[in-house]
Amino acid sequence: MDIAKIEKFLNCSGIIFVSYVGMLSQELISNMTEALEKETVKNNVSMSTSVNIFTIFVELSQNILNYSKSKNEHIKELEPKGLVLVGYDKEDDSYYVVSTNVIDRIDKDNISPKLTEIKSMNRDEIKKTYRELRKSGRDSHGKGAGIGFYEISKRCDNIDFKFTPINDNKFQFIFQSNITNKQKIGE
Amino acid sequence: MENLIIEETKYTPSINLDIQKGLIGLIGKSYPENTFEFYKPMMDWVEEYFNGNEQPKTIISFEIIYFNSSSSKLFFDFFDFIDEMATSGKYIEINWIYDKDNDSALEAGEDFKEDFEKLNFKLVEK
Repeated sequence: MDIAKIEKFLNCSGIIFVSYVGMLSQELISNMTEALEKETVKNNVSMSTSVNIFTIFVELSQNILNYSKSKNEHIKELEPKGLVLVGYDKEDDSYYVVSTNVIDRIDKDNISPKLTEIKSMNRDEIKKTYRELRKSGRDSHGKGAGIGFYEISKRCDNIDFKFTPINDNKFQFIFQSNITNKQKIGE
Repeated sequence: MENLIIEETKYTPSINLDIQKGLIGLIGKSYPENTFEFYKPMMDWVEEYFNGNEQPKTIISFEIIYFNSSSSKLFFDFFDFIDEMATSGKYIEINWIYDKDNDSALEAGEDFKEDFEKLNFKLVEK
């Protein structure tokens, strides 16, 4: 990528708080979360909005980490590689958290209908399903859209996702969540 | 049995389990890599405590700023066990402490309170 392209990307992406591409680890995730905490304080983001951003960031990053770990038990080909991005969109006055990693077709087939369903749900439906799943223990440790994606959807205004085929068996999974900046009355 | 103290880290809360005071206290953030493994010593301690070692009154205090979904599940299982203990006659009081500006922490507390309506579950603003 040449510098003009980078500049164009930075300009149209608003303010980027945190971005990382590469191998993820728990230590790295917590260091990035710490950096994110500092950025939100510096930018006067309200505590409620900040907490939602941190939670979504952690959830998506740990998703990538856990996914690769679950795969590595069988084969060594998948490393915890992924991209996570947190930024601010000036036009919409909203924050976004984006993640992307490579997943197998079988997992795409598992996640895709669940995410389609979550996307169609309103906030009350998401909350209700989240609590039902938590109670039943169903999918609680699951790697395929357990309560994690409900946790994310509960804390943002909307989600979007896309699976781009790489080959017959691998897909690039891109997930985005947008968090409207909620300032408390009186602030 | 002995008290159990676990120091706070960047991604795990401080845990203070005090048998003399009848106190189970958590303060901080909760997003461990292996949530169930991390909380196992606490869960084991709590089980042993309520197995005849408990005080007449037990205070549980949770001050969790934010947490990941597996912590959410673990806290649910924890309160489920506490609910069982309370039903069997143990006197337990729960304080869910949240910052007045942290709507998410308040909402999480409200959900637990609703899920365990028989528990003496208080939402405490700080």
